[in-house]
Amino acid sequence: MKLKKVVSALLVSTMLLSCVACGNNKNTDDANKDNNDTKTPNTEAADDNNTPDDSADATGDGKLVIWTLAADLEQFAEKYMESHDVEVETVVIEPANYPTKVQTALNGGQTEPDIIVGEPQMLEDFFDAGYFEDLNQAPYNAQDYADQIVDYVWEVGQDADGIQRAISYQITPAGFYYRRDIAQEVFGTEDPEEIGKLFKDYPTILETAKTLKDKGYRIFASDGELNFFSGNTAWVVDNKLTVSEQRYAYMDLCVELYKQDLTAYAAQWSTPWYQAMSGPVPVLTADSDVNVWDATEFASATEGGATTEIFAYGLPAWGVLTMRDNVGETSGKWGVCAGPTYGFSGGTYIGISSNSERKDTAWDFLKFCTLNEETADWWIEKSEGDTVSLLSALEKHKDDGNEVYGGQHLYSFWLEQAEGLDYSVVTRYDTAIGNAWSNAITAIKTDEKSKEDAIAGFYDEVEATYPELTIERE
Amino acid sequence: MNTVGYKIKKGILYLLLIILALLCLLPFLLMMINSTRSGVEITTGFTFIPSSHLKENWEQLFKFVNLFRGMGNSLLVAVPATILCGYFSSITAYALAMYKFKGNKLIFIVNVLFMMIPAQLSLIGFYNLCMTLGLVNSYIPLIIPAVAAPGTVFFLRQYVQATLSPALIEAARIDGAGELRIFHKIVFPIMIPGVATMSIGAFIGNWNNYLTPLILLNNPEKMTLPVMISTLNAATDLQSNQGAIYLGVAISVIPILISFCFFSKYIISSISAGGVKE
Repeated sequence: MKLKKVVSALLVSTMLLSCVACGNNKNTDDANKDNNDTKTPNTEAADDNNTPDDSADATGDGKLVIWTLAADLEQFAEKYMESHDVEVETVVIEPANYPTKVQTALNGGQTEPDIIVGEPQMLEDFFDAGYFEDLNQAPYNAQDYADQIVDYVWEVGQDADGIQRAISYQITPAGFYYRRDIAQEVFGTEDPEEIGKLFKDYPTILETAKTLKDKGYRIFASDGELNFFSGNTAWVVDNKLTVSEQRYAYMDLCVELYKQDLTAYAAQWSTPWYQAMSGPVPVLTADSDVNVWDATEFASATEGGATTEIFAYGLPAWGVLTMRDNVGETSGKWGVCAGPTYGFSGGTYIGISSNSERKDTAWDFLKFCTLNEETADWWIEKSEGDTVSLLSALEKHKDDGNEVYGGQHLYSFWLEQAEGLDYSVVTRYDTAIGNAWSNAITAIKTDEKSKEDAIAGFYDEVEATYPELTIERE
Repeated sequence: MNTVGYKIKKGILYLLLIILALLCLLPFLLMMINSTRSGVEITTGFTFIPSSHLKENWEQLFKFVNLFRGMGNSLLVAVPATILCGYFSSITAYALAMYKFKGNKLIFIVNVLFMMIPAQLSLIGFYNLCMTLGLVNSYIPLIIPAVAAPGTVFFLRQYVQATLSPALIEAARIDGAGELRIFHKIVFPIMIPGVATMSIGAFIGNWNNYLTPLILLNNPEKMTLPVMISTLNAATDLQSNQGAIYLGVAISVIPILISFCFFSKYIISSISAGGVKE
């Protein structure tokens, strides 16, 4: 009888727990996995310019409401309150649900929030819907500040008609983080300039990868490291789909890296991917059918196998912080160099809600976050290595060394990378076309399709998604 | 009865049940263990040995949110909503099951139809309604709609039909009791096991409800627990928050465990209970 009771109690708790389980698994990795490189708002005609609202700060209640998806702004708000007589209320909303929340509120005509933000891939929709106030008009005259901010950030914050609607306080250009000690051993140099040459184009990366493999290392933990450098030619020119030589070269590189076992096959953001930052990891091959997300299974499947060390990671500027927390004993042995193309990913763009009734205060806060050198100085220190977008602050900190990266002057490096970004090649089709291209690459490298079939499939997919584009098959 | 074969069969049965139970309980054990580990430890490995970062996680968690405030808010929403749901659903179910009137069947069919419409569909319309009524950023739109719970009504209607004998109500009528009094004094006590079962579901549903409060509540002070914990995902340095997120979720499960202990005897009895003693 007693046993029966125990079992029924167990069953009952099982039932309860499965109920509980439904509610709480939110995708915590969403924010991190957002590795889309060049996604942007533009070219779509935004027809609903909001007429200037002269009743700025009509409420005059000394309050400001911010809805953000990055907790950073909460710290900015606290800092702002120290020096201003304004009560700032910051609502932090998780990135996955941020657009839903903002859309429902602003479509419903709410006058709060005053400050809204967006990541580059959300901005286009937000601009089209007219949520963001036109910052070029009086009293803001944002165009007067254009030369104080890194160019590409300025351009991401513009809508299709070139009207400034949002500004970011940070820049997020991408680069390769590499191990200086391995570089010294294999290539006889650890100088970022010299190592950058090993990554200068796709065929060279393949050569570098082979050299590293011969010496017992792997160039990357995953082939996702190249995502941020997938090409900087325009996908669409004059309404015509254009697949440049560079795109094919990128495709070949991804396929070769995979087929010749040149990476460690650890998925980005998975357990072994993090582990590889601090030391050796087991070697996986494309055929080993191991679930890398399950650490126990992973450990037992690879036990006693060969191990290797990873040479490089491709991450945007915010990767500085990810690396810092995970490098462990390899701290100080890292360096950062340029990739084969320029790229960027992420960044929080701040704007003013067009429904706001406290626009003056909101603009003051926006300037405080993005255009104030004191704030930038404070943020560089507070965030321990985030890269700001204000040119004067980057200039001032250009000789700051970062110890994790062997004292390298990262701020001047990132500025250089950001200045190289050619934002004019970015079109609104990029996300979908880029995804179709990477699907084709995946199909080829896993031998699911031949190269011809996969490319034909790519054209089909683009044609179906964007019938308005002219497509000339090769 | 006590043959070896029987014992073996029983043994296998229990073994299977135990494995099943472990399978379901293990993730929760891991959640508890992960709440004592740092973010870097969580992303780089997996173990059953608790680590020593409980205090840091706690501090990190409370640096971002006031969890007890969130818990209070969640209770403020979930308890009234559960009570309303239980009471109004049972009175509706009783009427549908025991009274004969025109349109009874139609109402029941409509009720079943509404069970099949997901609540998320009407979210934007619901938001605009609340906007017009000036109810955004208040708990009323989270509590009042609990009155209409088609799923609960459906279950309770079947429950009443199975357990309640019409003779009981007729007897009460002969003794001169009013209809409401019959419901409160006779029908409702009989329905309690069924109501309790559904109430657990309703409570857990309200406690874990995420999307509606996310859309409706704008003030951080008013946020309910799931919304609060999700804001930890918004940090720039996500990894360091992993432990704090686990801790937050672990803490948020506690009231559910307590409410379950309170209701569990009803669940078990309602599964085994019959109706009137023949």
